[in-house]
Amino acid sequence: MKKYLIIGLVLITVIFSCKKSEIELFPYNQIETTQAFTNEAGASLALNGMYYGLRVAGGYYVQNWAIQSEVASDNVIISSAGRLSQRAFHDWTYNGDNTSSSFQDGYTMVRRANAILENIDKVPGSTPAFINNTKGQALACRAMVYFDLARVYSKSPLNATATDYTVPYVTTTDATIKPGNESVSIFYDKIIKDLNDAKGLIAVSNPVGQLNLAAVNALLSKVYLYKGDYANCIAASTAALGVTPVLSDTTTCPLVWQDASEAGVIFKIKNTDLDGITTQGVNYYQKVAGGIKSEYVVDYAFYQLFQNNDVRKAAYTFVSPYNTVNQIHVVKFAGRTTAGTPAGNLDAKVLRAAEVLLNRAEAYYKSGSEPLALADVNLLKIKRYKGYVNVVIAGQALLDEINLQRRLEMAFEGDRFWNLKRLNLPVQRSNFGDRADGSGPTYVFKTLAAGDYRFNFPIPQNEVNFNTNLKQVPGY
Amino acid sequence: MRKIILTMLIAFAFVLNAAAQDRTITGRILDEKGVPVAGVSVTSTDDKTGTQTDAEGNYRLNVSAKAKTLTFTNVNFETVQSQIKGNQVNIVMNSKTSVLEDVVVVGYQTLKRKEIIGSVTTVGNKEVAQKPIVNFTQLLQGKAPGLQITGQTGRPGASANIRIRGIGSITASAEPLIILDGVQVSSQAYSAINPNDIEDIAVLKDAAAAALYGSRAANGVLVITSKRGKGKPELRYSFQYGRSRTLDLKNVELMTSAQKLQYEFEGNYTNSLLGGLIRSKITAGSLPAGSNLFNIDPTQRQNLWNELSATGAGDWRNYYLQDGTSKTHELALSGSDDKFKYYFSLNKNDNIGTLFGSKFNKTGGRLNVEYQAKDWIKIGTNLNVVRSKEDVVRERFNTQGSYTAIFFTNPYEKVYNADGSYNLTLQGYSPLEGTVNNPLTNDRITAFTSIFAEAKLLKYLTLKSTIGINYNNLSQESYLKPGSNLANILGFNQKTDIFQREVAYVFTNTANWRQTIGRTKHSYSILGGQEFNKDQFYQLLATGRNFPSPSLTTLDNSGTPNAASTSRFDFALISYFSSISYDYAKKYYVTLSGRRDGSSRFGANNKYANFGAVGLAWDAYKENFVNKINFLSALKFKASQGTSGNNTVGNYDNLGTYGLNGRYNDAPGATPARLANPNLSWEINKTTDYAMEFGLFHDRITGSAGYFKRKTSKLLYDVNVSYTTGFTSYRGNIGNLENKGVELELTGNIIRKKNLNWSITGTYTHVDNKITALYSDNVPQGIGRLKIGEPILTYFLVRAAGINPANGKQQYLKQDGTVTETFSASDAVLLQGKSPNVKFYGSLSTNFTYKAFDISAQMYYSGGNYINNLQYNYSTGNGSSFVSQQFTKAFDYWKKAGDVTFLPNLNDPTQRVRQTTDKYLEKGDYITLRDLTIGYNLSTALANKIKLKGFRFFLQGTNLYLGTRFHGLPEIGTSNSEDGGYNGQTARFAYPQARSITAGFDVRF
Repeated sequence: MKKYLIIGLVLITVIFSCKKSEIELFPYNQIETTQAFTNEAGASLALNGMYYGLRVAGGYYVQNWAIQSEVASDNVIISSAGRLSQRAFHDWTYNGDNTSSSFQDGYTMVRRANAILENIDKVPGSTPAFINNTKGQALACRAMVYFDLARVYSKSPLNATATDYTVPYVTTTDATIKPGNESVSIFYDKIIKDLNDAKGLIAVSNPVGQLNLAAVNALLSKVYLYKGDYANCIAASTAALGVTPVLSDTTTCPLVWQDASEAGVIFKIKNTDLDGITTQGVNYYQKVAGGIKSEYVVDYAFYQLFQNNDVRKAAYTFVSPYNTVNQIHVVKFAGRTTAGTPAGNLDAKVLRAAEVLLNRAEAYYKSGSEPLALADVNLLKIKRYKGYVNVVIAGQALLDEINLQRRLEMAFEGDRFWNLKRLNLPVQRSNFGDRADGSGPTYVFKTLAAGDYRFNFPIPQNEVNFNTNLKQVPGY
Repeated sequence: MRKIILTMLIAFAFVLNAAAQDRTITGRILDEKGVPVAGVSVTSTDDKTGTQTDAEGNYRLNVSAKAKTLTFTNVNFETVQSQIKGNQVNIVMNSKTSVLEDVVVVGYQTLKRKEIIGSVTTVGNKEVAQKPIVNFTQLLQGKAPGLQITGQTGRPGASANIRIRGIGSITASAEPLIILDGVQVSSQAYSAINPNDIEDIAVLKDAAAAALYGSRAANGVLVITSKRGKGKPELRYSFQYGRSRTLDLKNVELMTSAQKLQYEFEGNYTNSLLGGLIRSKITAGSLPAGSNLFNIDPTQRQNLWNELSATGAGDWRNYYLQDGTSKTHELALSGSDDKFKYYFSLNKNDNIGTLFGSKFNKTGGRLNVEYQAKDWIKIGTNLNVVRSKEDVVRERFNTQGSYTAIFFTNPYEKVYNADGSYNLTLQGYSPLEGTVNNPLTNDRITAFTSIFAEAKLLKYLTLKSTIGINYNNLSQESYLKPGSNLANILGFNQKTDIFQREVAYVFTNTANWRQTIGRTKHSYSILGGQEFNKDQFYQLLATGRNFPSPSLTTLDNSGTPNAASTSRFDFALISYFSSISYDYAKKYYVTLSGRRDGSSRFGANNKYANFGAVGLAWDAYKENFVNKINFLSALKFKASQGTSGNNTVGNYDNLGTYGLNGRYNDAPGATPARLANPNLSWEINKTTDYAMEFGLFHDRITGSAGYFKRKTSKLLYDVNVSYTTGFTSYRGNIGNLENKGVELELTGNIIRKKNLNWSITGTYTHVDNKITALYSDNVPQGIGRLKIGEPILTYFLVRAAGINPANGKQQYLKQDGTVTETFSASDAVLLQGKSPNVKFYGSLSTNFTYKAFDISAQMYYSGGNYINNLQYNYSTGNGSSFVSQQFTKAFDYWKKAGDVTFLPNLNDPTQRVRQTTDKYLEKGDYITLRDLTIGYNLSTALANKIKLKGFRFFLQGTNLYLGTRFHGLPEIGTSNSEDGGYNGQTARFAYPQARSITAGFDVRF
């Protein structure tokens, strides 16, 4: 019996034992980087992954982009009933430890674009049309992100000198780099080059949830405006808008903010019900048992600028009591009205025809074509004010109107602060409080002088500590 | 019952054998001390018949006429053969020496304690049994020098952080390897082990002891052996009942309602409740129009305050906290005969935690069996199944955490609204409501099994095969019920179910040759073995929204299925190992061991690594010139050196990958997930150890002293890359680390009388930890930094420089040391010598027995570390958040020129901001009365009278005293469940430890 037992034991040892190949293991939900671009389908996945990056980036449009720059300006005031979120941005006390995550998020998105650009020409069996359209989208996405980074972290080119610098313009996926700062003007030139390259490659027909030719032109319109290149701004705007600009009107304007209409939307980052990112809306308020509980409410002085026949007034704002006190809440990002959609869940509108039209109006004005500028303003206003009759204004009044319309149109979307910086204007907040009648606790900090260093957010200190070639934004 | 069974068995035996027998032999078996031995098999060698001795050692056996010899066997005694002379055969049996000698299971074999060369401390069953702690790891605290235990949180069922001789790893796990009955158990699983099932725990600290576990032993090894039966069948029933409360915060006090309102008033702040009250008074006409908190007269204001306070909750601890209870029943049956050993136990443990809604219940059973099938082959199995269910209370770094909310919710706020619903408070969230309406439950089944066969093939050769499977199953359900506050805020209700399965499989084969030659002078033992480990993890997650009613809880009721996903990963390890031990006359010992491991976690070039160790020992007391020294009673020296490794990193960290879980516009997307590092390799630990053990004055004083040095090279850590690469880091080997220190243990047996014993034991461990090399500069992600010459994650913070007495502004130091009033993150500097690492720890314990009574106490102390006290920072927020409750310390703010205060001017808006500086970096030193037990043992004689084998009653207190200068509670494991971070770095509202009192008894039949 002993013999059999021994044989049995030996057999068991052999059966249960292992092979050396058992320690060669690979993940179930990932592929090796080298396998990512082996066919068209793979490249399409990478492209979708790039857009996915736009959606989930904490510092970008679907999340904190709007709130951080908005609360740093004069459109909203902190609500004393709220949780005092984002206060560092409201009080301009941000520093390298608690700055916006846009920097990190921006380069994460850029890397995805760079990976596509490095590999797309080598994808076996793909058509030129596919290659061009993919490459065009990657270039446009990279340029778009860089433009936003430049707006956040540096002076605008109109106010920058030759020595003023911004963040690095990285075009590689090399992980060993420690790039230094780029000068503001060269950085903008690179953005423009990428966009112009994209123009020749990208498809016209890409849906509104992807970048397309109109989006590239809309971006160019914005970049040229920031650069002060008005002739090119006009040309790009016109290319984006077409012969007859399509804008949302008094009916569709509110629907755009419920994702029930895409009128006048050139590019938006999709955020489906399944995705369920509610940050855009929740950053402004939450709906609780006691009503709408705001974090930030509309500044009373600014609220006065919305006329009653302006459809944006009801589309963007809503007066209701919380804890018996009436406040003016920001409902622009309240979300889709379809049942079951999470509150605040909404596509993020990045480029809209109305903004492009205002870019062109301003460019016309700055290049001396006041009648054309006026025509654009009237074109927008007729789509926003019920019963609007065209007006004739000129000179400073016209410029003021253009600026006012930009502030109203783009309200709460995160444009105001960067626009003030572009125009080298101060943040001058009102003396009103956080209640619907202008009473209540007022702003603690009222003014940020034009050109103050805090118009530029600091780069995360961690990065400055590690990347010794990179200089922190001056002042921090 | 026992009697009945015995009678039946005997009757049965009688019936079977009656025919053949013609004479009866009787007798009594005693041991060398004259104590009757029960359970001895008495067999007639010629008849092949047999019986067993009863409780009094008596036997009666019928034998045939031809029978000449009787054989007496028992597992604990040397076998005796005796000629049958007459009808009575009385025998004195000698105990097997190996049983009396302390044996320890280490390194794939059982060794006599005296023969162990490496640094091993064993914690016996007596020290862990019947202590009212749900998790056995906490029981080890202070029990062995060099072993540091920190409770992660006070949550029932939470595990503890275990560190042996400092911290040898940072991101890779610094936890020791835990082996239960020869099988590695996961950190989650070990907290499920029932303390009373443990025979002993060997703490292997140095390379010589741990080397055979090579690959994973870099942070030491805990070898846990569960109980085997011994001797006569014994039935034990134990019961415990305890009550507990969270420990009170030290050195701080929450404001009362009156204080908080006064504070707000001083800060020129009107909370919205007061604002509403004033408005309603104006409407009602009892206050003139235009009234506000600051223009009414003091009496009116006081009346308002009183009115608000009257409806307030007062101390929210009365609501967010509760009295915890713990109740345990346990039944165990164990015993052995010459061939069979068994241990069987069942236990049920129900806990109510100290936070509102916290609950943890556990039911489990164990069966350990060992059978000597033939004299050369032994088979056995250890089986343990535990089911636990937990109601998890949210531990969040915001008001959703029940404990956190204590620091956020004001005492003047109501608990309930007029309609009986929970008041959501100014925070907009009531954790009371959340606990009720957003339940999270964990339901786990954990099974440990090991099945083994051991064959003694030749005289000196033993082969052993063990197959172990650990099975860990979790089903987790979290529900945002329809109608709950969170569901209203989010705009949807939702339920998420997670099913998770983890199977760890291990197959070990060893061959052991043990021989003594040359008149027992030369002994050697050779062990060779091979082991294969495989870990498989699988998780299924499903989410549904839009439930029609809170009472419907399965996902088939959800109107909108929302998410379904699975995840899976594998890990494998192949090992070959060998060790050779030799001793000369049990005086000089030497051990050599080596191991080769291949891990699936490392890059193609570095999958395999070799480890080895050498150990020397000299039992000096065996030398004639030493044992002549008359005050000495024992003296032994040990030295060892060796290497071990660590591979506890992510499973696929070496691969550069694209993840496919990105989704855009509801279509899949691929995103870069990880940077490749084909050079990722084993973290290597090289340990050098010197130790001595001694006994003085007939062991009246015993002790040990040791010095150790652990050098970790190729430290596994995240290697930073520039954010501009789109990544923050990749997993790599970043540098070298060194832990060195001393361990001391001293026991004084002050009184050793028959009825009176008193001993005192002190342990002390000192560990210095420093980085000795960095291959790549580490840049802080957060508030700690690696720097050559400094401990791990030495704080890297801006220095606060007090309040300027002239203007009441907070001052900081710039990098160059000049004072500034402007905070800038770029002024952060390395704070030399201040790190979250504990530098010294130990215990002072005493045992006192007088006749049937015993008292034992243990103080545990720990210190030398610094903690970023975020809790204190938040609660003295200086107007940064008037909405939140504050500590009374918040009143210590600047009011007028010349004031020297802790906080800046409350009414300067530029100062109403919280910055992360070293202002709240505090020493974590503390001492606690961890354990105080008073027990009573019924004397054997008395117990026997009432037909019991034994009875014990005890009363035990945990954490009855805590001494510290820290503001809050200094025992910081994880900062809270939401935020992993580095252990002990930040105090952040984690579930606090509890103070408890437990009573229990133990009856043995």
